[in-house]
Amino acid sequence: MISLMNDDAKSFEELALSFAARQLANRRESSDRYPFGPFDDTVLAKADELGFLGITVPEDLGGIGQGISTLCVVLEGICRTDASLGAVIFTHTLSQDIILRSGSVDLLCSPSSRGRLIACSAYSNPDEHKDPPRAEKGKKGYTLTGSAGYVVLAPIAAYALLPAKIPGQEGYSFFMVDLSQSGVKASEPVFSLGVHACPVADLALDGAEAELAGREGAGAAYFGEAAGVMSAAAAAMSLGIMRGSFDYALAYSNEREQGGCTIVNWSMIKTILADMAVQTRIGDMAVYGACSAIENRLPGWDIVAKSAALHVQDAACRVTTEGVQVLGGYGYMKDYGQEKRFRDAHQMKTLLGMAPLRKVELLDRINGK
Amino acid sequence: MISCREMQGLIQRFPSFENSFIGLEYAPRLPGAMVRETRELVAYARKFNEKVVRPNSLALDRLTHENPGYLPHDLMKTIADWGLYTMWVPKIFGGKGKNLPSAAAFMEELSSACVGIANVMGVTYLGLTSLLTSFNMRLTSRVLRDVIEGERSGRPRLIDFAITEPIAGTDAEDMDLVDRGRVITRAEKVNGGYLVNGRKVFISMGHVSEWTVFYAYTDLKKPSQTMIGLVVKNSARGFSVGRHEDKMGQRVCPASEIIFEDCFIPDDQVLIDGERIRKFTRKTPAEVMMRHIDLLASSSKAGVCAIGTGVARGALEDALKFASTTEVRGRLLINHQWAQGMLAEMYKNVVLGRLAYQEANYANCSRGVYDMLQMKPVFYYLKLMPPSYFRMLEPMLNGDLATWAMSKMYLDLKKQENIDCCAGMSALAKVAGTDIGMKNCQLAMDLMGEAGLRQANGMEKRLRDAKLLQIYEGSNQMNRLITFKGLIAPSVPQARVFEQ
Repeated sequence: MISLMNDDAKSFEELALSFAARQLANRRESSDRYPFGPFDDTVLAKADELGFLGITVPEDLGGIGQGISTLCVVLEGICRTDASLGAVIFTHTLSQDIILRSGSVDLLCSPSSRGRLIACSAYSNPDEHKDPPRAEKGKKGYTLTGSAGYVVLAPIAAYALLPAKIPGQEGYSFFMVDLSQSGVKASEPVFSLGVHACPVADLALDGAEAELAGREGAGAAYFGEAAGVMSAAAAAMSLGIMRGSFDYALAYSNEREQGGCTIVNWSMIKTILADMAVQTRIGDMAVYGACSAIENRLPGWDIVAKSAALHVQDAACRVTTEGVQVLGGYGYMKDYGQEKRFRDAHQMKTLLGMAPLRKVELLDRINGK
Repeated sequence: MISCREMQGLIQRFPSFENSFIGLEYAPRLPGAMVRETRELVAYARKFNEKVVRPNSLALDRLTHENPGYLPHDLMKTIADWGLYTMWVPKIFGGKGKNLPSAAAFMEELSSACVGIANVMGVTYLGLTSLLTSFNMRLTSRVLRDVIEGERSGRPRLIDFAITEPIAGTDAEDMDLVDRGRVITRAEKVNGGYLVNGRKVFISMGHVSEWTVFYAYTDLKKPSQTMIGLVVKNSARGFSVGRHEDKMGQRVCPASEIIFEDCFIPDDQVLIDGERIRKFTRKTPAEVMMRHIDLLASSSKAGVCAIGTGVARGALEDALKFASTTEVRGRLLINHQWAQGMLAEMYKNVVLGRLAYQEANYANCSRGVYDMLQMKPVFYYLKLMPPSYFRMLEPMLNGDLATWAMSKMYLDLKKQENIDCCAGMSALAKVAGTDIGMKNCQLAMDLMGEAGLRQANGMEKRLRDAKLLQIYEGSNQMNRLITFKGLIAPSVPQARVFEQ
């Protein structure tokens, strides 16, 4: 990400790119076979060794204590090659971020949870759900009952951070749930559009023991703040996908011949590639702007970050659509990675909630409501 | 108000009245029974969707992910049981003889439920159209009668169509481009036929068809002058299928690599050869092949527009169902104003897509590939005469007379401006219909959010399916150039197409 090139960010970018080249590129197609092929967890272990599963967590809590810029360059670099690992890191980081904001840091660094993946519903705003699980407080603590749909990482995570409603209270609260207990039943992995190697499952909860994160009824506040920051990360992932799509399409256009010359010399193809390049550059600026606003706590930083996410996610869908088109029939086949980028970009567009609803909320926020 | 002479001058200005109000001009000549027949077929398609397509579509898609080598033999058998492989085969060849433009409406219906299954039915009609536009009635009759026998016996014998080569996709589709490309399928003249070597790629239904219509070149250095169309039985020696492509969508309809290794094609399976029919026409071999491709593509591209329209409609239907049953922030989604705006936009796209393929087919009916069959006297004659009558006529198809008549009508007598209009309108429709198919899928995905991501809900499959529509039957970039070539360039003498 050229706009973020301070020394720290640059070294993390190099790290992410070399990691992606060594660990992701040659197994992207086979990993994408999941859930109809095996889940390859060796990549996760290696990402964890590099600290990618605790980028924004303070060092004293077991993370590497970096800011949003570092998270963005890592996600962008990884998603150029394979967005599935990006989605794993994003989801786990979102869970961590909500927990950190809640103040219940014990949930992150207890002996049982330290270094373990935490699932959450990364593709929705809990406000969108009509019937979240019900939380009841008993002598031993809270128990959750009900269903939680489309919980990202649930098939491979140790814990899930789930929103639930306490009867008689307004709003919702977040709870940490140990997924190994008998009160939790996970569905078969949900077969989805994109990022297949970032597994998803539905959870059925029947008196599942749970620990409250922060205060009762404060879930929307924690999620709102976390969504603001993580919007920049979501934008960075879509940026990585579209940059990968552009790079591949450009390289292909310089090799593929049609009409007696390489197709990059056809002016219609040039304009398509130029549009892809423009969107990638603008995406880069948008992510940079979002990171700067967040790190400097500029007024309206959340508006900048959420705007960046909406713009870049939409642009990535258009760019990856063209990224398939430039390759013609080959772009549509699973051997080339472009069709995966197309699917991944469309999957990413729903991160943190339905795009139209996020637009409505953004305008309300700009309008001071 | 205005003199006749002045009016003629004004209506011929770009864009001409004839190219702008095609349906309006055709309406008085449209046989009334064609409307009733189309209505009946749309109803039949809806029944087929209800009984076959919707209950199986998602399970089959999932099955193809579990087993990428899956081939749709069972589905083909079911389609044959419903009589769909002979529905649009003209009666003169023993089929049910439904009007050909109605196939587009039928494809819209099926595609609104599943594009993959629609193509398991529809691809054979691409092969059929390539036969009908070859002017070779003898070979057309032979192949189509085999198709009919296949359906009757419950073992479908289908036709696939192979033009795309590994390093010549767009190039192979236009005589102005093919000489600059790198085609590799060579037909060498030998005693009694041709010996073919080469490869074709991305051939829909190649693994499961009985017949392949394909193109080869007797001189790879002069492809536009030496291109010939051939027909081969897929069991022939030297013919084999290679890769079964692992596609993003439309997975139930296999895409195949086809390999020719010293494959002998006898002379009586040469479908079209510009040199051979020179005795019937003033056209050069390259002009004959371009006319054949234009006629064929004018029909097939209107069909692909219909498929795109069907996808757009399926996306609308999914989004509407979701919005009508899902509560967000205290009220049904359908009562959020932004959602109503999106649904209206999607509905608009569907209507515009349908208008596009209808208008392209009105051009085909009044000025192009369907004009003879859609003339009222011919239409009713073919519709009302019994099958036994057409069986009596069969021997006529085996002589030169039918080929001569077709060649005269479609090569020499048909005006180039009519061909340009039909090619341009169908290319325009193909771009419009497939772009709106993609657009509606993206809008529906936005509206459905997380629910749209699940394969089990169907919407994400539509998105995967839709993308291929912008690529096959000529990429949408190629079709924009054909639109320019057919509808704009004729009025601009200095315009040159396919130059960088």
